Amino acid sequence: MRARVTRRELLKRAGAVAGGAVAAGLAPARVRAQAATRIVFWHSMGGNLGETVVRAFVNRFNASRSDIRVEAQYQGSYDDAINKLRASIQSSAVPAIAQVYDIGTRFMIDSKGVVPVQEFIDRDKFDLGVLEPNILAYYRVGGRLYSMPFNTSTAILYYNKDMFKKAGLNPEQPPRTFEEIEEYATRLTQSGVTRSGIALAIYGWFFEQLLARQGALYANHGNGRDAPATAVVFHEEEAGVRILEWWARMVKAGVATNPGRATAASQRAFAAGQTAMTADSTAVLASLLRGAGGKFAVGTGYFPKPPAAANGGSIVGGASVWILKGRPPAEQQAAWEFAKFITAPAQQAAWYVGTGYFPIRKDAYREPVARETLAKSPQFLTAISELRSSPINRATQGALLGVFPEARQKVEEAIEATVLGRKTPKQALDDAARDINQAIAVYNRTMGVS
Amino acid sequence: MSGGRPVGPARDVPRARVRAQADLRALAQAGAYLLPSLVVFCVFVFYPLVRNLELSLYETTPFGGLGLFTGAGNYAQLLGSPAFLNSLRVTFLFALYTVPAGIALGLPLALLANRRIRGIVVYRTAYSFTIAVSIAAAALIWHWLLDPNVGILDYLLTLVHLPKVGWLTDPRWALPAVAATTVWKDLGFNVVVLLAALQGVPDELVEAARIDGAGQWGVFRSVVVPAISPALFFVGVVSTIGVVQSFGQIHILTQGGPLDSTNVIVYSIYRNAFFNFRFGLAAAQAMILFVLVLVLTGLQFAVFERWVTYQ
Amino acid sequence: MTRPIAGRLPRAPALRRAAGRAGLDLAMVAIALVVLFPLLFALSTSLKTDVEVNQYPPSLWPHTIDLGNYVAALQQAPLARFLLNSFIQSGAVTLGQLVTASLAAFAFAFIQFPGRQALFFLFLATLMIPGEVTLIPNYLTIKALGWLNTYPALIAPFLATGFGTFLLRQFFLTIPRELADAAVIDGCSRRRFLWTIVIPLARPALATLGIYAFLATWNQYLWPLLVVNSTEMRTVQIGLALLQAQEAVSWGLVMAGVILIVLPTVLLFLLGYRHVVRGLTAGAVKG
Repeated sequence: MRARVTRRELLKRAGAVAGGAVAAGLAPARVRAQAATRIVFWHSMGGNLGETVVRAFVNRFNASRSDIRVEAQYQGSYDDAINKLRASIQSSAVPAIAQVYDIGTRFMIDSKGVVPVQEFIDRDKFDLGVLEPNILAYYRVGGRLYSMPFNTSTAILYYNKDMFKKAGLNPEQPPRTFEEIEEYATRLTQSGVTRSGIALAIYGWFFEQLLARQGALYANHGNGRDAPATAVVFHEEEAGVRILEWWARMVKAGVATNPGRATAASQRAFAAGQTAMTADSTAVLASLLRGAGGKFAVGTGYFPKPPAAANGGSIVGGASVWILKGRPPAEQQAAWEFAKFITAPAQQAAWYVGTGYFPIRKDAYREPVARETLAKSPQFLTAISELRSSPINRATQGALLGVFPEARQKVEEAIEATVLGRKTPKQALDDAARDINQAIAVYNRTMGVS
Repeated sequence: MSGGRPVGPARDVPRARVRAQADLRALAQAGAYLLPSLVVFCVFVFYPLVRNLELSLYETTPFGGLGLFTGAGNYAQLLGSPAFLNSLRVTFLFALYTVPAGIALGLPLALLANRRIRGIVVYRTAYSFTIAVSIAAAALIWHWLLDPNVGILDYLLTLVHLPKVGWLTDPRWALPAVAATTVWKDLGFNVVVLLAALQGVPDELVEAARIDGAGQWGVFRSVVVPAISPALFFVGVVSTIGVVQSFGQIHILTQGGPLDSTNVIVYSIYRNAFFNFRFGLAAAQAMILFVLVLVLTGLQFAVFERWVTYQ
Repeated sequence: MTRPIAGRLPRAPALRRAAGRAGLDLAMVAIALVVLFPLLFALSTSLKTDVEVNQYPPSLWPHTIDLGNYVAALQQAPLARFLLNSFIQSGAVTLGQLVTASLAAFAFAFIQFPGRQALFFLFLATLMIPGEVTLIPNYLTIKALGWLNTYPALIAPFLATGFGTFLLRQFFLTIPRELADAAVIDGCSRRRFLWTIVIPLARPALATLGIYAFLATWNQYLWPLLVVNSTEMRTVQIGLALLQAQEAVSWGLVMAGVILIVLPTVLLFLLGYRHVVRGLTAGAVKG
């Protein structure tokens, strides 16, 4: 029963900030009906908190403005949503503003169907200095910000402190390197406190993160940031192979389990005490704390990084909101107002404590709700500290690829083949790279990118 | 193939003109009955098919526009690609796991549900309710049952001291697991259709066979099976078509993995068209699938329909 | 169940038969439980708290019944509205298919016209075209017609069916030709023959097609997702997706959604079961 209270509490905390003015907004809504600019917002935030909080944001925004009415429309998963956009982006059958995942960035820019938010930023003299520099570094392309980051995260390590204690490991000192993780996982498994030391979902994003943590590039031309990428390079250096070797070695030794591609499965394994450690986005922190429900103490740590890789760090993940060209200028302007609203400190703080996605701006941590949560659950600080400790360079800015969804999937196939012992790491990565390079060539050719 | 077919009626027209006016009148009359279907088909099936054929000859832009004309390029690429040949194999295996199992389980259940005992309605309902469960709901339920770490099925295995199985993560088990989900979901439909057919078997026929000295098995084989053969054939054809078009359960359970072990053609078409932004390739895949199913269904009719006894 | 049999001490063959029957009874109960198990376990999961859902070993039944997942599911997705939309879509498609397929099958079965075989094969061919092929062109058509986000978009593309035409034709062919000839001699028009004789006789086949069409439409995911944008127009299968978060999935919540969505169709099925089976068997019995 305890966890139920915690969930409600979290919801309430998130809702109180986000939806406080809902009731108050109902009356003026009727008055302003005629003059208001109506805009549609497409998003992919399903699930309990996602929908509730997004709806609360929209209600609060509508209540606060007499000239704009936003309608939020859920469009399925990130993949579903970008598909719908793709089918309509060069027409007027688009929403004024849409949420698109990080790896859709290059494609959205190439689609020529968007208005860069930079135009509004310049016009408004909006101060970008309040945003986290690493987040800006990811979303800025060629010096311009095309979309407004909304929900941002990095990958972190989650561990079961109780199991650490039982295995004689220091629960306040999570492993930091590949070798340490392997060592800890072995110790945890062999001491019999858990069935598996670590559950690693086969998720291409983890590979990207682990590559960047070593300071290595994913694609050529500076991760596709100096010029559009024409090939991936992750298979050429030692870094990529090292990741797969480490991963497959742990699975083979039986100290890591393979929960498949969905992190949902590794989350369950962790919450059910079937594994002592897991890798996941910080975005699931609130949900994991809820799932653990006080049965054990949840510890969080940085993603592994070799001691020598001074220029290595984390890449920002998540999604941003895009303003679409297909709608009239008044709607575009209204969309910008809404984008500013959902990225304002109050909303970002509510989002943060409800999920685990960290705020895109530094001043959001001053919000009372954020301070309260941090005092109670310091785990909320891990991801943002990890990000802030990351130098900004081509590796940590992350790659831009028009075919990123396909590339990620190919890498997942490579991880799978290695973990299941079907291919050597080098061979698996070479095969993936060959397929991806072919896809990039087709993309660049048909999109007229050079 | 598809390009040639619409010519059929046109080719017959001159012959009709030579023949009596009756033919023309029959055609006009038939046309009136066929018109509603034809209109819908032309707009929503044939036109897209022609568009698809066109797309399959191009390297398309990510927006689905025609990019570079490549002729048979996409087809050549596919037929030489191990991944595509694998998805053909997986589709075939999936049908092989699902269709016979669906009938092999559906028929005994229908026979049991056809017993004349008290409370039989309860059993009939229990055996056939999955007809009312959508594929998405079924897949989500099974996803939960099959979870590799906390799933109940694996827990039951450990209770009898068997090792846990990575149902959806082990390439050897993923396809059977998806097939099991599909069989469960389709069981209701199969039971309903077969039960209806069984109830239609005339008692006199069964009695007559009994009097002739046939045992339970003999009656079943020589009277019941022939009598319900149209229903069996129907279930076979419908399941095959359904299985070949399966998408939802694969999308929810495995997304084609692990190692492409559940990547049936339809799923790979979906991936290429809606995930990899490669319409041309997907279109060519679809054309090949179309031709394959055409041949398969033709075979099914040629081989099995002869065996069916229409009353 | 075995006790009364043992008490009567009947002779050996009768005893064996009775034991066999009891064994069969037991098997039937066991099978029913196995078939029902996934649904029952989903129900049980939906009534658990997040913490209990994430427990290992899993509990068969919740320690305390918690309706929080249902409250959350209903708050989050207007499932009643989604159900209504799905019923409208599936109902309209089913009706439409029954009409268009009856008409077409009638022409194929009872009218001798030139090009009949070729045209019939053309109808059959529509069955074999993967749905993914038609998705994008059809989306563009719907957009051009200005039907995005409307019921016609959900319904129109499915108003004709090669499968249904085939099914009904097969059934119509079993109707004795003499009946048709007699009708013609009686001066009965083709249309009257269809409505007064063929359709009533074909009830079982129509029932089968009806169920099939309804379910196939009910199960759609990709098409409704593509052509409908607003929440008010969504169908249930997308409602299920709505309950799954991008990053973390609460299985209790998802199972609550599954139960809420399955419930109405199962109930409808229970209510309509007798009709369906009677419909399916009515014509077949006459032989």
